[in-house]
Amino acid sequence: MSEGLLFEVGTEELPAAAVEPAVEQLRTLLLSGLDGARLVHGAARTFATPRRLAVLVEAVEQRSPDVTRQVLGPPVKAAFGPDGVPTKAATKFAEAQGVPVQALRRLQTPKGEYLAAEVTEPGRAASALLPGILGAAVHGIEFKKSMRWGEVEQTFARPVQWLLALHGQEVVPVVFADVKSGRMTFGHRFLSPGPHPVGHPRDYPGLLERAQVMAEVARRKERIRTEAAEAARQAGGRIRDDQALLDEVTELVEWPTALLGSFEERHLDLPPEVLVQEMTSHQRYFPVVDAGGELLPRFVAISNTPVRDPALSLRGYERVLRSRLTDGRFFFDEDRKVPLAARVPALERVVWQGKLGTYAEKVGRIRLLAGALTRAVGRPELLAIVDRAAMLAKADLTTGMVGEFPELQGVMGREYALASGEPPAVAQAIADHYLPRGASDPVPADDPGALVGMADRLDTLAGLFALGKPPTASADPFGLRRACLGVVHLILGRGYRLSLGEAVHQALDGVAKKLGLGAAQVAEAKAQLLEFFRGRLRALWVDRARADVVEAVLAAGFDDLRQARARLDAFAQIVGALDFTPLAIAFKRVANIVEKQGSDVSSEPADPRLFQEPSETALAQAARRASTEVHRALAAENANAALAAARSLKGPVDAFFDQVLVMTDDRPLRENRVRLLREVAQVFAPLADLSRIQAEAGGAP
Amino acid sequence: MTFQELILALQQHWAAQGCILTQAYDVEVGAGTMAPTTFLRALGPEPWNVAYVQPSRRPADGRFGDNPNRLFQHHQLQVILKPSPKDVQSLYLDSLKAIGIDPLDHDLRFVEDDWEAPTLGAWGLGWEVWCDGMEITQFTYFQQCGGFECRPVSAELTYGLERIAMYLQNVENVFDVEWVKGVSYGEVFHRNEVEMSTYAFRASDPAVLFQLFEIYEKECARLLAQGLPLPAYESALKCSHTFNLLDARGAISVTERAGFIKRVRDNARACAEAYLKVRAALGFPLRKTGWTVGQQPPLLEGAPASRVWDTFLAEQKR
Repeated sequence: MSEGLLFEVGTEELPAAAVEPAVEQLRTLLLSGLDGARLVHGAARTFATPRRLAVLVEAVEQRSPDVTRQVLGPPVKAAFGPDGVPTKAATKFAEAQGVPVQALRRLQTPKGEYLAAEVTEPGRAASALLPGILGAAVHGIEFKKSMRWGEVEQTFARPVQWLLALHGQEVVPVVFADVKSGRMTFGHRFLSPGPHPVGHPRDYPGLLERAQVMAEVARRKERIRTEAAEAARQAGGRIRDDQALLDEVTELVEWPTALLGSFEERHLDLPPEVLVQEMTSHQRYFPVVDAGGELLPRFVAISNTPVRDPALSLRGYERVLRSRLTDGRFFFDEDRKVPLAARVPALERVVWQGKLGTYAEKVGRIRLLAGALTRAVGRPELLAIVDRAAMLAKADLTTGMVGEFPELQGVMGREYALASGEPPAVAQAIADHYLPRGASDPVPADDPGALVGMADRLDTLAGLFALGKPPTASADPFGLRRACLGVVHLILGRGYRLSLGEAVHQALDGVAKKLGLGAAQVAEAKAQLLEFFRGRLRALWVDRARADVVEAVLAAGFDDLRQARARLDAFAQIVGALDFTPLAIAFKRVANIVEKQGSDVSSEPADPRLFQEPSETALAQAARRASTEVHRALAAENANAALAAARSLKGPVDAFFDQVLVMTDDRPLRENRVRLLREVAQVFAPLADLSRIQAEAGGAP
Repeated sequence: MTFQELILALQQHWAAQGCILTQAYDVEVGAGTMAPTTFLRALGPEPWNVAYVQPSRRPADGRFGDNPNRLFQHHQLQVILKPSPKDVQSLYLDSLKAIGIDPLDHDLRFVEDDWEAPTLGAWGLGWEVWCDGMEITQFTYFQQCGGFECRPVSAELTYGLERIAMYLQNVENVFDVEWVKGVSYGEVFHRNEVEMSTYAFRASDPAVLFQLFEIYEKECARLLAQGLPLPAYESALKCSHTFNLLDARGAISVTERAGFIKRVRDNARACAEAYLKVRAALGFPLRKTGWTVGQQPPLLEGAPASRVWDTFLAEQKR
């Protein structure tokens, strides 16, 4: 006989971002608790709103089954005396396991023959197990920020108001944070407060729906999406896509209702980013756009209560936005009274990072570095634009609008640059230098923004690494992981070919002056920073190829990221082929010999006069041809051709090993063969370090 | 509902729950939280339930009376309930009904908002309460005050009176709010805004203010040394207000700023510690009253929070 199990933790309004992770934890903790107690159960459903976290598990058995297991005792040798009488070891063991000594069995193990007892643990009643399981689950939920309240000693994200715990019709007794469990739930705070008794777990979803709580996250989200879309349609537009806002709003309501509001059309001449920010970040309204994506003077607010007179409520929504937009307009007008360039000196009073100085100093370093990068990527004609953009890149940090909306940095720089008569390319670069902001963001469409952005990020990375403050597993306050990936995405996304090591070095030179670091410290920071890049690349590229292949390609260098990625993709294409593993094994063998024997052998190429066998001559010729071809193909950015050329050595290498004994006693011959193999190894060296390929994993895609 | 009726209705509501009504604290503060009736009373094991209107001065927010929403001085109705009652949200919602905000007519929401006051070494978690998208109250469960854990935890409700009045009276400009029939907020306070903003942004003398800061800081320390946390705290508040005046004047550079904030916080922290010692020496007298507001949950497990303070004090003695 089994029954549904329902556990609902009722709370005061939880932070929106805490709701879904918390209910997921509750589900996991509850199910692992049931599994740990061997209570057989069915599927679990979750329900989560700002005021409740609930899990409903179907068909939880009334008892856990009996379990029989073998317990190993003393070795048979030690268990019986010469007369066959059980020793003390045997009787003690039997006693401890609660079985007669005659019931002990003999068990053959790799260590010899042992006595064993068969012990049956009787199953336990769910009613005895569930209080502990539920209690552990609610205690186990972890939040980013927890609090205490009243005189309660436990912590939670917000105060716990009630606990509903039912197995079938029975209340499971649980106490948490001075709240005792019962069978009551509560409905919508205003429309159907309750308490509402729940007769049986199966009644819970329907009961909540009647109590005007839409408790399933996915459904509630869908309802908001549809309602908002319908409201926007009435305004002749559609909702501006914003998944994060939809996710957040979903966790701000239990019973969503959409309201369509408007704002004065004259505000449409504010930058669209400002309008969007005003609507979304503080008010959590959905902006409405037309078919072309242009903002309409409308918004959709999601109310938690279907109020008696929507017009009254709407008047409130509109008035808040009106006052915010008036404020925004005030900042916009005030900020534009000062040309953007005139704000640059004020950066001397804005601290970027204690030891690394002010934003004025950072901007000075960014300008130098951006110039160097511009030359490195072969666009000297952009130097003037890049330098101007770098100089102005952070000037908007001193504006009122960015003070109010830090998220608008860059965008406001662009707007104010245009208003100050800066060239459009400079203005665009100011906005673009923050791109990509995240993994899903595009890189800038033009070079100046990308180059300034790269310089900014490299300066940040160099500065913090030079200070000895790389990110830790739990803390990355300067967003160094994102900055590092940003550099990678900029280089690859813009298709730059430049030396990463050289760029890192220049960045470190800049901060070294500020920090007074010597060459040795710079070299150490450079090594650490490049290792950090390696780690990021490893994580980034793991979905392009097998982990060992990524490792092998990175081991051959990533100074030219574009070339490294092309090599990786070339390997990724052939790694599943049947002949890849034999290839890897053959070249590993080459590498092993070179590594073991190569150290005391002349570094000259092999001497053809010492070749004895045709296969030696053939291999030497093939290796030299392949080497030329690999370098030519890599220079021409044709990694596939380079790899094909290197692969062509497989036949000659196999023939060589078949026909030639490398480790001959004739020392000159032996050394010459090692030199020949080193030439072969060097063909592969610029492509990948094949010794890192795991042969046993070969064949798997 | 006039501005005055709004104040009276809220006071009436909280008085009826069992709060004492104190009058505004008469030293300049930036928020009701800074008045000793909140900052100090939130410390230690004694119960405390109070409501008061606090004129709150924020020099940097002064706009010479030109801005319809921003003021040098606004008014907060501050409520402290310690320990926070189990039904504090309902009590609060009832207060909104008392001023004519019916939850079936308006969209009322509790939206996460964490509160931190670096100059007080205080932080808490809670919400901003929205009425049709407008923040009308800051609702905080104090976690720390003056660097000390709050046990028990106080609930703090801070009503933004001007904002609520503007909403209730449906006016767009704070100066149009009706204080009593026939007299507007502007007629009472506009000139104050003009003069105080002029003072804060133009007429104040930074050299004098820097001197005052030093004087008040020393005074605070001197009084603490004599075991007088209450007058010491007044000096700490004056330090804090002087800092705000200097800040508004643009007289404090970014690099200096953190240093000044730390000096203010150190003062506040020292006052908090001294206050606790004095209350302990008195035997935490309010503990004997059993004074609570709203529902208090039965203690089903764990010791009463006040025990924690006995341990704390024992440690202090050692």
